[in-house]
Amino acid sequence: MIAFERVGKRYGGRFEALSHLSFHVRRGEMVFLTGHSGAGKSSLLRLVMRLECPSRGRVVVAGHDIARLHASQVPFYRRQIGVVFQDHQLLFDRSIFHNVALPLEIQGAPPRESARRVRAALDKVGLLHRERAIPIELSGGEQQRVGIARAVVNKPALLLADEPTGNLDPQLSADIMALFEDFNRIGTTVMIASHDLALITRLRHRMLRLADGRLVADEGAR
Amino acid sequence: MNTPRKPGATSRSRAATPRRGAQAKAAANAPPPRAAGSAAAGPGASSRFRAWGRHHRAMALDSSRRLVRHPVGSLLTMLAIAIALVLPAALWLTLSGARLLDAEVDDGATLTVYLEPRVAAEEAGRVEQAVTADTAVQQTRLISAEQGMADFQQSLGLDDALDGLEDNPLPASIVVTPKDASPEAMEALAARLGEVSGVDEVRLDLAWVERLRHLAELGRRITLALGMLFSLGVLLVVGNTIRLAVESRRREIEVVTLIGATHAFVRRPFLYSGAWYGLGGGVLALGLLTLGGHWLALPVQALAASYGATFTLPALGVAGSTILLSCSTILGWLGAWVAVSRHLASIGPR
Repeated sequence: MIAFERVGKRYGGRFEALSHLSFHVRRGEMVFLTGHSGAGKSSLLRLVMRLECPSRGRVVVAGHDIARLHASQVPFYRRQIGVVFQDHQLLFDRSIFHNVALPLEIQGAPPRESARRVRAALDKVGLLHRERAIPIELSGGEQQRVGIARAVVNKPALLLADEPTGNLDPQLSADIMALFEDFNRIGTTVMIASHDLALITRLRHRMLRLADGRLVADEGAR
Repeated sequence: MNTPRKPGATSRSRAATPRRGAQAKAAANAPPPRAAGSAAAGPGASSRFRAWGRHHRAMALDSSRRLVRHPVGSLLTMLAIAIALVLPAALWLTLSGARLLDAEVDDGATLTVYLEPRVAAEEAGRVEQAVTADTAVQQTRLISAEQGMADFQQSLGLDDALDGLEDNPLPASIVVTPKDASPEAMEALAARLGEVSGVDEVRLDLAWVERLRHLAELGRRITLALGMLFSLGVLLVVGNTIRLAVESRRREIEVVTLIGATHAFVRRPFLYSGAWYGLGGGVLALGLLTLGGHWLALPVQALAASYGATFTLPALGVAGSTILLSCSTILGWLGAWVAVSRHLASIGPR
């Protein structure tokens, strides 16, 4: 699903965020990406999202070298990836329902179909009863769950998350991770960047450990 | 970028929520819908087109709602556009009212053939026939000495003063309308007519015709230049307003770009805003022009009457109004396009 082939990413002249990074994530796998802040977790995810292109090497997602995508194809590529952000990137001027519906709106899904899928996604994260609320009325954990609902509403083949439990207490964090496991169980490839080692070692999934932009450990691969 | 809140959909959702909630909770552990692949399977062309149309409608509505939400700001922008449009439009109206823009100037191109004094009436008829015989002549009108005198008296309003004259000092004349009103053709015709026996002098008002022609051209060009200048003004006004709107929705743009919105999708609501601003400005401009026309109508009529003429200020009419409104709408749309395109590049996802 995701293949990094000797990928290097350099910002500005000197600073190397990633170097000689090679790994392969199979379809349907669930992978944690860990390391200290600044180790390159976010840079790696940005490469997969095609927010940036690698300075060296290739990033191949679903068989495509994504650096070769034409600018006009990038939006369509991104639609196949669900992304959960640490700050969840919700829009505060609209309801939970409309936040979750955003990816479908962008894709132009018919309203009826769209409403059905939004409710299914909200139900999955246990927030169906809050669909008419606006994000500011929700707790941090609930906001993050809305972010997850938005990421999965168009049934992406690949789900990325950047520190999804960054601001949550341990119990909420565990709940969130359990949600990701649910999505993984039905075939979604999941990649989660997190520095919450205590939590993710307990979950026993494959773990890619980054340090200074290099892959220092690849543990627990099945 | 709001989805339109359709009343029907909302009420349906409210009714469906509890039932659906219970149902879905029971099914929470069952495998949710197919994950991989389905997003990649593109919808058919017709449904894509429907989606496109739906988004256009939604954005047209949404952007108009945004304008209404800030009535004062929107009105000020539209007023600025209206003022920029009123000036060239008013100038154009005035010029077209004065017939300077029309090609009808050519109608004024006539030659006056003065016969030798004391040419008898029968002889004048003969001369007229000779003049009419020239192939370049379209039409002639004989003005006898007596009629010339009568016209002269009437135009001066000096009935009594001229009665004192014993003899009629005016010669008979023939007003000739040429087929070809170009200066060269008229010059040649005048030379030929001067040879006809009984003709004293041929006058042609070429200088006047030329002056009028130049004046008309000048008016046309000034109107055009002002029109372009003020159109640029409209572009800038709309562009600046849209730039601020883009700035205030920067976060939203970033988010939707992150989750796969195309540039066209991001641009659409702003283009509609621009078009609405333009249309609103156009309507206001029409209003201002009508108001101004009414305000000036009385003094203009009085002035014209004092010259014994009737002159009414021209109105734009349906065609003119349509053109003004379409131009202003297109200008607003264009201004928005320029502003958004410039800013999309700078925003992009972080």
